[in-house]
Amino acid sequence: MSSRERILERLRQRERPFPEVAAPAVYRPMVEIADTSPAALRARFIGEAQKAACAVHEVASPEAAIDLILALVGREATLSAWDPAQIPLPGLASALELANVTLVGQDAGARVGLTGVDAALAATGSLVLMSGPGRYRAASLLPTVHIAVVAAGQIMADLESWLAAQKVTAPDLMRRFSNVVVVTGPSRTADIAMQLVMGMHGPRELHVVLLPSVEGP
Amino acid sequence: MQNRSNDFIPAAQVAIHDADLQRAVSFGTNAGYTRRRAAMFAAGEAHGQALRRQAAAIRRNCLNRLPELLAEAEANMTANGIRVLWAIDAEEANRQVVEIARRHDARAVVKSKSMVTEEIGLNHALEAAGCVVLETDLGEYIVQLGGETPSHIVVPIVHKTRESIRDLLIDRLSMPPTDDAEEMARFVRETLRRDFLAADMGVSGGNFIIAETGSLCLVSNEGNARLVTSLPRVHVALVGIEKVVATVEDYATLTQVLPRSATGQAMTVYTHLINGPRRANEPDGPEHVYVILVDNGRSGIYATTYAEALACIRCGACLNGCPVYQVTGGHAYGWVYPGPIGAVVTPLLTGLENASPLPYASTLCGMCKEVCPVDIDLPRMLLDLRADLVAMGRSEAVWTVGMKAWAGGVGSPATYQLGGRMAALAGKVVIGSLPGPLKGWTVYRTPPRFAKKPFRRLWAERQSRREERDEQP
Repeated sequence: MSSRERILERLRQRERPFPEVAAPAVYRPMVEIADTSPAALRARFIGEAQKAACAVHEVASPEAAIDLILALVGREATLSAWDPAQIPLPGLASALELANVTLVGQDAGARVGLTGVDAALAATGSLVLMSGPGRYRAASLLPTVHIAVVAAGQIMADLESWLAAQKVTAPDLMRRFSNVVVVTGPSRTADIAMQLVMGMHGPRELHVVLLPSVEGP
Repeated sequence: MQNRSNDFIPAAQVAIHDADLQRAVSFGTNAGYTRRRAAMFAAGEAHGQALRRQAAAIRRNCLNRLPELLAEAEANMTANGIRVLWAIDAEEANRQVVEIARRHDARAVVKSKSMVTEEIGLNHALEAAGCVVLETDLGEYIVQLGGETPSHIVVPIVHKTRESIRDLLIDRLSMPPTDDAEEMARFVRETLRRDFLAADMGVSGGNFIIAETGSLCLVSNEGNARLVTSLPRVHVALVGIEKVVATVEDYATLTQVLPRSATGQAMTVYTHLINGPRRANEPDGPEHVYVILVDNGRSGIYATTYAEALACIRCGACLNGCPVYQVTGGHAYGWVYPGPIGAVVTPLLTGLENASPLPYASTLCGMCKEVCPVDIDLPRMLLDLRADLVAMGRSEAVWTVGMKAWAGGVGSPATYQLGGRMAALAGKVVIGSLPGPLKGWTVYRTPPRFAKKPFRRLWAERQSRREERDEQP
C-alpha cells in the first residue's frame, strides 16, 4: 500500500472529529467597510497603504505619472519592469526610451522595479500582483525600490472581494497563472530584538503611483 | 530533530538564570502579546471574537472533511502542474526531497522558514546527500549560523539580544562591526542575495493549501519566501497534511487571522498563492514545483481526542501569552514546537514517554486558549495528557504518594480535620522549606501559612455565640 493510501485510510477510519461544527453560514470580512463608494475606498486605500509604509503619489494625469516615474528612476540606465503594455500608462514605453532607460526583466543589478497591479485593496492598503505574460515576478522583488502603478478603477474593498471576483468572472480565473502575491508595504523584518527594519530581502521602498479616476477629480 | 523534552526541568532552570535570555524573551513575548491584542480587536472586542469563532469553525470543519479535502487538493494541484507526493514519516519525506534534488542535479538549496522541515530534520538529510542548505529567514539564518534551533514558532531568535546577534555575525561572517539592527540586516541581505541568485532549488513550508483551487499558500514579511519560490528552477514545499482548507473564503479568513495573531499585522507584507510552475507564457518562476504532504504522526493524532491540536495555524500567540514560556523561552521544551501548543503536540508526535514533563509545563491559567485564534482548548488537552501519564504509570512517585495521602485526608470528616490541625502545627515549625519529598514545592515558593484557627472551629464558635444570643430574651 502506498503512503498516500495508508494516510487516507487512517484518516477515513475516524468519524468526523467535530460533528457539531459546520462551515460558517456567513463569512464576516476581516475589516468591515461601511462606505464602499469609489471615493471612500480610494481614501481608505491611501490611508492603509501609508500605514503599511508605502509612499502614495496621487497624480493628476498619466503624463504626471510618467514624469514622476522618470524622477524616481533618476540616472539609472536600467529598469526591471513589466512589459509596458501590462501597465495602464499610455506613452510609458516611448517616454522611457526617450530617457535612455533600458527595460530588463529579471536583472539582479537593477535598483528600481516598475509594475502595474491587478487590484488594490482598500481594507489593508495591499496590491495584488499576478504573474503572466510580460509580468516578471522579479520586478517587484529584486530591486530596492518598487514602483507600482494603480488605476483608480482597480481599487476594491478587500482580499475577500478580490477572491470572490476570481470565482465569479470565470471559474478558477486565478489558476490561469502560476503566482499571485498580495503585497502590503515594503519588505521588512523584526527578527533582531523585535526592532522593525525595512528592506530585508525585498524592496526597501514601495511607491504607489495612483492615477486619477476616469470620472474626473 | 532529537527530542530532549524529558530534560525540561533542568533546561528551564538554566534558562531562568540566563539574564540575557530573560531580557530578550520577556521583551519579545510582551511585544507579541500587545500587538496581537491591538490587531485582533482593532474593530472592538465583539468583532474580534466573532472572527475567532469564524476561524475556529473553519479549521474544525476542514478537519472534519480532511480525507476528502486532501484528495481534492491533490487533484487540483496536479491539474495546476504541481507534482504531489505523500510522506508517511520524516524518513520518507527526507528521502523524497533528496531524490528531487538528485533528479534535478540541485546542489545549492535555499530555504524559507518551515517548522515541518525542522520536525523532520531535512537540513541534515540534504547535507548528507551533498547539498549546501541555507536558511534565508533572517532569524533562521542566525539560528543556523550559531548551530542553534529556533526557540519560537514565529520569531526564531526571540531568545537572543541584539548584542549577541552582532557578535555572531562579526565572528562567523566578519561583518564590519556595528550595533545597528538595520546595518546588520543589510549585511545579511547582501550576503544572502548572492546565494539566492546561485541557488538550484528552493525549499519552503506551506501555511495553507486551498483544496478547490489547488493553491499552495505562504505568508512572509522579509520577502525570502518569494525569492525561494521564484528564483531557483525547482521549488519543493513540505506541508503538514492538516493544513488543507476547503475554499478561498476559508483561506481569506485564515490568512488574515494568522498575521493578526502572530505579529499584529492585518496582512503580512507578502501573502502568496502558488498555482504551480511557471506557465509557458510567463517570463520567470520555477520550472518544477513539488508539494510533499507530510503525515509524520498527524493521522495518529486525528484518531484521538487530541484532534483539535491539528487546528493550529502556528501563529505563536499561545507562546507569547504563556507565563511558563515567558520565563523558560523555547529551547527548554526540547523539541521543535515550544509553548503550550508544543507541550501538547510534542508528546503526541514523539511519544508521551519522551516528553513526560511537558503536560506539567503549564499553570493551567487558560491564557493559551484565550489568545488562540482558532480557540484550541489547550488546557483541557494538557490535563488529559496528565491523566494519560497517570494511566501509563508514568507519573512521579511523589505525586502518587501525595495524591493518595490527599485522598485519605479528605476521605472522611475526621481525617480531614486531623489533616488541617497537623498542617497548622507544621506551619508553626516549618519556616523556609518543606521536608522530604515536599521540598520540591518550596524551592521556588514560600510554603503556605495555615490559619491559627481552622474554619471549622471558627464556624463552631460563631454558632455557639449565636445560640447563646438567641437564648437571651
